[in-house]
Amino acid sequence: MDCNKRTGTLISIQDSLVKARFLGEVKMGEMAEIMVDGHLLQAEVLQIQPDFKNPQAGIAEMQVFEDLTGAQIGDLVEFKGKPLSVLLGPGLLTSIWDGLQNPLYKLGEQDAYLVPGLKAPALDVEKLWEFTPTVKVGEELSGGDSIGYVPEGRLEHKILVPFNLGKCKLKSIVGKCKLNITQEVAVVVDEQNNNHVLNLAFRQSVKSPIPFKERAIPSQTISTGVRVIDLLAPVGYGGTVGNPGPFGAGKTVLQHSLCKYALADIIIMAACGERAGEAVEVFKDFAELDDPSTGESLMKRMCIFGNTSSMPVAAREASVFIALTVGEYYRYQGYNVILLADSTSRWAQALRERSGRQGDIPGPEAFPMDIPDQIKGMYQRAGSDVGTGGSLTFIGTVSPAGGNFQEPVTQATMDATGGFWGLSQDRADAKKYPAIDPLVYTTSVYDSFISWDDRKNMLQTLHESNDIDQTISTIGLKKVPIDKYVQYQKGQTIDFCVMQQDAFHEVDACTRPERLEIINQAVQKLINTPIEFSQNEMNDEELKDLVKIKFDELRQWWKDWNSNAQSAEQMNELDVKLEQFIKQEEA
Amino acid sequence: MIRKEISKISEIGKALISVEGNPGVALNHVVELLEADTNQSLSFAKAINISENSTRFQVFNGTQGLSTHTKIRMHEVPLTAGFSYNMLGRSFDGVGNVADGGPEIIFEKEVSTRLDTLNPTVRLVPKQALWTGIPMIDVFNTLVKSQKIPIFAGPTEPYNRLLSQIAQGAQADIIIFAGIGLKFDEYQYFKEQLSQSGNIDKTIMFTHLAGDSQIKGLMLPDVALGVAREFADQGKDVLVLLTDMTNWSNILRNVANYQDQIPSLQGYPGSLYSELAKRYEVAADIEGAGSITIIGATTLESLEDPVPDNTGYITEGQFFLENGKLKLARSLSRLKQQVNGATRNDHRPIMTVMASLLADAEKAYEAAEVGAANDAFSQKLLRYREDFIANMEEPFGESIELEAALDQCWQILKRHFKPTETGLSKKLIDEYWNKN
Repeated sequence: MDCNKRTGTLISIQDSLVKARFLGEVKMGEMAEIMVDGHLLQAEVLQIQPDFKNPQAGIAEMQVFEDLTGAQIGDLVEFKGKPLSVLLGPGLLTSIWDGLQNPLYKLGEQDAYLVPGLKAPALDVEKLWEFTPTVKVGEELSGGDSIGYVPEGRLEHKILVPFNLGKCKLKSIVGKCKLNITQEVAVVVDEQNNNHVLNLAFRQSVKSPIPFKERAIPSQTISTGVRVIDLLAPVGYGGTVGNPGPFGAGKTVLQHSLCKYALADIIIMAACGERAGEAVEVFKDFAELDDPSTGESLMKRMCIFGNTSSMPVAAREASVFIALTVGEYYRYQGYNVILLADSTSRWAQALRERSGRQGDIPGPEAFPMDIPDQIKGMYQRAGSDVGTGGSLTFIGTVSPAGGNFQEPVTQATMDATGGFWGLSQDRADAKKYPAIDPLVYTTSVYDSFISWDDRKNMLQTLHESNDIDQTISTIGLKKVPIDKYVQYQKGQTIDFCVMQQDAFHEVDACTRPERLEIINQAVQKLINTPIEFSQNEMNDEELKDLVKIKFDELRQWWKDWNSNAQSAEQMNELDVKLEQFIKQEEA
Repeated sequence: MIRKEISKISEIGKALISVEGNPGVALNHVVELLEADTNQSLSFAKAINISENSTRFQVFNGTQGLSTHTKIRMHEVPLTAGFSYNMLGRSFDGVGNVADGGPEIIFEKEVSTRLDTLNPTVRLVPKQALWTGIPMIDVFNTLVKSQKIPIFAGPTEPYNRLLSQIAQGAQADIIIFAGIGLKFDEYQYFKEQLSQSGNIDKTIMFTHLAGDSQIKGLMLPDVALGVAREFADQGKDVLVLLTDMTNWSNILRNVANYQDQIPSLQGYPGSLYSELAKRYEVAADIEGAGSITIIGATTLESLEDPVPDNTGYITEGQFFLENGKLKLARSLSRLKQQVNGATRNDHRPIMTVMASLLADAEKAYEAAEVGAANDAFSQKLLRYREDFIANMEEPFGESIELEAALDQCWQILKRHFKPTETGLSKKLIDEYWNKN
């Protein structure tokens, strides 16, 4: 055995938490490998304690990322010296990994089941990339600087000097040529005169964020295609959003809609502790769908980390940080990246399981005491970078226990994010999609596609309509004045025809800003114009009946327009229809 | 092979025992407990917690009657389940022992109960409906092959009757029944139902009765699902019935409590979600092999209880049973979109509008309780609601084919509304309104 290796032996095993006795040095947070039953299992050092049995030794407490069945006291541990890291380089896009960046298709070639110890290289090591250098020998460089690029699909993937390098000088670099990720691209010399070989790919620690060049407040709104979001609860490139909802409220459908329609260069999905089937649907079915901006397969702009609910819990925490680091890497190259993490509650629960095993004093609902800080720290890694022109938008779903938004993770997320898309059980029960309640969960942090006044107008009408609805429920329709009833019907129309959307309809599922503007014009016209319904000879009840019939007809027409109107001419029909409606002319 | 033995148990608690030091047993490996003098086998146990100071085991048959002198014999393997086609038609306990008094079975092979995660890339996107003849399921929440879905119900609801009814018509090669904490009459009911419908010859029953050893109940889903998975790997379409997962979770809670784990909500361990997910995620349609569909039962007092709450986040929807009716409002099949677009063209729209009208009707119903639903349309909604509950939410009526059920939907709408009041597109109204 290599005597330079730092090793230890297991002295305690409990679920995914182990302790090992070691002599010499162990670093906090470093990775280790444990030999169990002939397989090497990956682990991370969480804590270092004194060994009261042997004053020469120490005890390292570790979480293991794989199932430990068969582990025994005395099993050998090797400390690897490096913290948990992710391999960054060309080939990230279209990849589908587990939570530790093992490519799932490659693992599938070895076994249909994810048995402990199964490994495969994170990126394709044989694929050749056409490298074009952009720097010359002798140039001063430092971590994060680009030395050239390779085409990755439609994108220009910049080859960067690893971020952990300080100031250095380029000693040599290859000319334009084809290379794989293990071949030498360049050599740089640091200030201590050490040579560093650069490849197309390098490893980056996932717990140390890739820096911003010049961080800025998000200023450009993302077109997500979802009307209620783009109108009333928008998010900017580089923004953060928490998306809590009880089960069945439509978080998954919304995430899938964002995957399909949100305008961005890259979408990263961290399927963290959620159903495997949903991740599969994304990478198998979405591959056949077109990217809204390029027309290519949607998968070409995506990569997926699938640490699904039955996979080892310890790797859940890792999966979110790995995904974040990949997002930061592309942001640094100047791309707009959206990270969808589903669900951050499962991530928090993984921390809870671990801290419980470690015997930490529990905070509220047994979560670790510092969970709010950890959640904030995670969302803070998103942001817009005017220095590179890139951004990382972080949209995290939250799965509150019992659908109760007062629980610790939802509360901490509300505190940590700029936007908040709360899904309402009542709206979900009424099968209203998306179930974002516009009265409770709109956000003013980011700019919308419509003016602030229009937004206020729309919200006010929805509020009034909701109030009148409650009045009708308590005192009955008869006692509500006719003008209030018309106002109520207006709000209902906006809710039904604009706020609600059919996520599975090819036209209705996605609304772009131009169409949104046409809809907004119609909505404003409907709100701002008093409408006279004919009153001759009609009593109050007959008149309300008439109003309802008229609005029902309008809503049916509008719903049809939502799913049918595509040509410019058809789009304009909405305005014409509204003109007729407010004048109460027959078409 | 001579197996290593230890002969001093230092601690005996409820369901758990410990020995001092480390006898060389590996995590999750099985040991056998033997009467010291006679070497008679008392129980098996599993190593769950090992350190150089002590080793802890979960005892399958409970700890009643064990002594500090009981012998522990190492088996040096994790718990496996016996597998054989001869198991069909037979009953077993939670760790796979014959439990129907019939002859012992010679197993073809031993299968793992570790329930390793299926590589997601090997999963097929589910696309095949399983028709039940129950309109609330077929029309509104279509069941799909490889789905995992529980019935949520109060403890006095006929959830086992519903589970059994779904199983009767199931298009499955193999039915695995996994009952945890069952009352004897429930077990007997299933057995009779499966016999009467002629399904018993393709069924294997794993049963843990209330009062049986807790650890056996805890292990039961892993053994049953391990066997189910082997059938699926061999190309069979398997239907697993898991009832009742609240009983199972309560055993999990008890055992976590015996192990002094820090509880999270209502005494359940923080790992409840992961533990439930590990079992439910076995449901899959496997590329180049068969499939596993899981229909569970989860009894509850309130939807906010940790067990139904965590389950809802794991499963692909739920069927909600209340007052003997399958309620539309809280029922959901997450996979229905995979199959209900390829049926009749009115399927999706009629499902949506009927649900939305029912939500309005529920509001009118509440208003009516304070006398505020006196307008004509509210009255219509109230009549619609009654009609809907009687005809659509009844799960135990006659079996109805999908198209007939859709026609029935149109008839209900027509009985109560004008076409424009439904919100259906003009095209569909023209096509179906006058036909029905």
